[in-house]
Amino acid sequence: MAKFAFYPGCAAKGASKELYESTVAVAEELGIELLELPQFSCCGAGVLEEIKDVMDIAVNARNLAYAEREGLNIVTVCSTCLLVLRKAKFHLDNDDELREGVNEILSRFGLRYEGKVEVKHFHWILLDELGEDGLRERVKRPLSGLKVYPYYGCHTVRPESVLGYEPSENPQSLERIIRALGAEVALGERRLECCGFHAFWPAPQLSMKLTGMNLKDAKISGADCIVTPCPLCHMNLDANQKRALKAIGESFQIPVLHLPQLVGIALGIDERRLGLQRNIVPVRC
Amino acid sequence: MEKREVTFRIFRFNPKRDEKPCYRDYKLPVPKGMTILEALQFIKDNLDPTLSFRAFCRSAICGSCAVKINGFPKLACKTQVLNEVEKFGTDILTVEPIDNFPVIRDLIVDWEPAIEKLREVYPYLIPDPEVVPHTLEEESRVYPGELKKFDIFTDCILCTSCYSACTAVKIDEEYGGPFQLARSYRFAVDPRDALKKERAKVGLAFNMWNCVRCEKCADVCPKHIAPVDGIMKLRGLSIEIGKRDNPGARHVMAFYKSLLESGMLNEVLLPLRTKGIKGIIENLPLGVMMILKGKAHSPIVKPIDEHETLVGVMKAAMEVE
Repeated sequence: MAKFAFYPGCAAKGASKELYESTVAVAEELGIELLELPQFSCCGAGVLEEIKDVMDIAVNARNLAYAEREGLNIVTVCSTCLLVLRKAKFHLDNDDELREGVNEILSRFGLRYEGKVEVKHFHWILLDELGEDGLRERVKRPLSGLKVYPYYGCHTVRPESVLGYEPSENPQSLERIIRALGAEVALGERRLECCGFHAFWPAPQLSMKLTGMNLKDAKISGADCIVTPCPLCHMNLDANQKRALKAIGESFQIPVLHLPQLVGIALGIDERRLGLQRNIVPVRC
Repeated sequence: MEKREVTFRIFRFNPKRDEKPCYRDYKLPVPKGMTILEALQFIKDNLDPTLSFRAFCRSAICGSCAVKINGFPKLACKTQVLNEVEKFGTDILTVEPIDNFPVIRDLIVDWEPAIEKLREVYPYLIPDPEVVPHTLEEESRVYPGELKKFDIFTDCILCTSCYSACTAVKIDEEYGGPFQLARSYRFAVDPRDALKKERAKVGLAFNMWNCVRCEKCADVCPKHIAPVDGIMKLRGLSIEIGKRDNPGARHVMAFYKSLLESGMLNEVLLPLRTKGIKGIIENLPLGVMMILKGKAHSPIVKPIDEHETLVGVMKAAMEVE
């Protein structure tokens, strides 16, 4: 089975440690080798671009260069890290002048970016390495009867020109995984809408309203739970659920799982290894 | 040529006559290469002359034919029917007027609210008398490196697709809008402009920090512009001219500081650094819950390995012209 340079991102290393735990547990169970490089830094979540775009790209070229030095492709569990790393790569690969300038900086520290490394999302590699059938074969505890609302998160799919794993207007990767685990897909209208996380600090009301609307859509769809591959969406949907629902005058609870948590449950991995006890909205298996 | 039967489920509404909108189905054989606009014209010519839509150049230049196909804004003249059928795996395509605008009739919307906002961002070059010569005899030069900063943003055809898809516009009426703010940035970095970075103040007046970075504007633009990139750079210019006393700018600086300190974001200090004491009070219940659930970590973050290379790279990049 394949080996990847694991880029967890600040959320999984911090307040979303259950995402880190569940990813490691699922990878171990499936025989996917994850090597976390201790030199990886925060990607800057795109906000570094607001100080200086070249700095944003240089910081991430450094991350890419460390993975290249190991000869490994990067896998991340954070959609914003995914976008920021891929965007940096996109610019570096398509602008010779920029790449040369950034490499000049990296060379002062013994590093170089060649353009060989790929950056993938964890759920992409589940589909690419195992496929739906491979995943289905590994399921020990089929999630039959469970209705799951797939919530993608913007930076998992948009912009398609940078992410490009699947059509951003009609992605199916989450649905494919949900079905492979034996669960049913809850059909909603806001699976591709934004949760407002990135405007949480300047505009909390706007952010909470968007999250509230998404939660309500999931509820209306009859879902038992929501699954998302993005820890930032998860933060808004799970940790801020009460506040978000209050912003739209609603009050109910719906569990929100990180994608590896849902996969882990179906693989029969112990709940504590998946960090389910850490989710703010209780998850009962 | 082989044809495929496709049903167009079209939004119909005449606010002067109808109480509410309805959808009407039109079925037609679609050959390979037929565009949505050609299909709409076929319907108007052969099936229903009352169908109203806007179109002009048929070459993705004039920006007048944007409609919503299965929920996503697109230029009708640039979009092929069978590509959409394949992407959505259905023979039924829903055609609706674009969002965030009042409907005049059927697929025609009133652009005025967005155009009014455009007017307010001074969407034209205000010549800098020190740079732009007074006579036509002399040239006003823009060098390739300067042009590179704003070239792509000059491709906007004002089709308003980005405005109709914008998440912030849907929630906040005061928000400036993607193409308007990107236009602001385009002039803010034009060496011939008199206002230059000061244009970021217009962005602040138009709530530019409310952009949620959903990337929809980047995805729907028929000219492959990413207005969101312009908005983020305009925010950057506001920081450069000293407009740092707001949560958006402080949030950016908190990231910068975290990277210099340890290389990883210090989430624990983020509320304090972004909003001061208010940030702590607002997020106190959440903080307590996180501690109880074992999600919180220490405010002291251990530096990453080879942190000095990160600091070196950041400092060197800051010195690049």
